[in-house]
Amino acid sequence: MKKESIAKKRIFPVVFMLLITLVFISITTVIYTFTKDTIALNERLRLKRAVLYAAGVQLPDDPVEIEKAFDNRVTEVKDDTGKVRYFEVRESDSTVIESYVVVRIGAGLWGEITAGVGFDRDLESFRGLEVIDQVETPGLGGRIGETWFKEQFRGKLLPLATVPEGNATTENQFEAITGASYSTSAIQDIMNSSQEYARMEILGSQ
Amino acid sequence: MAGFKIRKVFADDLGANNPVFAQVLGICSTLAVTNVLKNTVVMCVGLIFVTALSNMTVSLLRKYMPSRIRMMVETLIIASSVIIVDIVLKAFLPDVSRQLGPYVGLIITNCIIMGRAEAFALSNPPGLSFLDGIASGIGYSYVLIAIAIVREIMGSGSIWGYPLLGDWWTNWSIMVMAPGAFFMLAIFIWIVKGIRDKEEGESS
Repeated sequence: MKKESIAKKRIFPVVFMLLITLVFISITTVIYTFTKDTIALNERLRLKRAVLYAAGVQLPDDPVEIEKAFDNRVTEVKDDTGKVRYFEVRESDSTVIESYVVVRIGAGLWGEITAGVGFDRDLESFRGLEVIDQVETPGLGGRIGETWFKEQFRGKLLPLATVPEGNATTENQFEAITGASYSTSAIQDIMNSSQEYARMEILGSQ
Repeated sequence: MAGFKIRKVFADDLGANNPVFAQVLGICSTLAVTNVLKNTVVMCVGLIFVTALSNMTVSLLRKYMPSRIRMMVETLIIASSVIIVDIVLKAFLPDVSRQLGPYVGLIITNCIIMGRAEAFALSNPPGLSFLDGIASGIGYSYVLIAIAIVREIMGSGSIWGYPLLGDWWTNWSIMVMAPGAFFMLAIFIWIVKGIRDKEEGESS
């Protein structure tokens, strides 16, 4: 049997692996470079859409219209480091603040839930909820992203308590998702703690 | 001859040698994504793409690849294909990408892809390997889609997110959770094996 040389046996595989890794890294880097602006725009648009939805603004379908509505009506209030603390939402061409939106992060079942929570200007009642990011079980906890679930928070008051689906009657109740009590209570915690946060951020800064 | 080989590849992957119910591969994603039909379909499209692409690439490199590092190379190829799918979804189908969340990354761990690279692509030409990737992907997809249809109807009363059964139907929460997938997969395998055993019994 022919014996393989050291170069072929030991060095060639290493060189081959290095080269092939370089090739594939280059391919993915090129694709990433070409799409990263689109991805950043998508993320930004998602946040704008979420803020408007949580503030109870009728959402246009066209992304350009969403950008326009956001630019006309929403002011980002930032801290010294440039991080957004909360959003002020006005009617177009008005100086009167209609509502506030804060972005809150809570602990879900599998990971973090990021939500936009909207308040009336008196910070007493909820304007709305938008789930920005979540990795809950699809079909169970994932239903916190469904419209029927999010819409029920409009006009609700603190403190919020859960009731079974179809049973919410008062302004302090919202309908839990059957089979997803952990995700539901994560949303409940986010909503109930967000008022104190909003008061601290908004009233504290005025 | 080529036509015969292609037919054999498809007949094998879709029937007797189906990756899910004959080889019992790719079970993690069968359990994870089949509770909602929409996610299942996107997962299947992603898997077909990745299996075909990685099969073809492995086959192209098969004559130059030192055999002792072939699994590292295969993993690299598969991971790169999955990253491409992930980036493209994020850029052009952001809503779908958000719904699938971590599942796209999990395509890397799907045993079917590595299985086909090892069992087929290493010993067959690129064109046929590409088709084998597509055939295996379809073989995986139709089983998952069948399971997903039943699970979504029974678990959520809807199909593709549209309500189907109305208010009288009480959703079976277990169908949306992992145990529902175990039951459905087992029933599926039971039915298919039953039919095949009967056919074999008749032909012998």
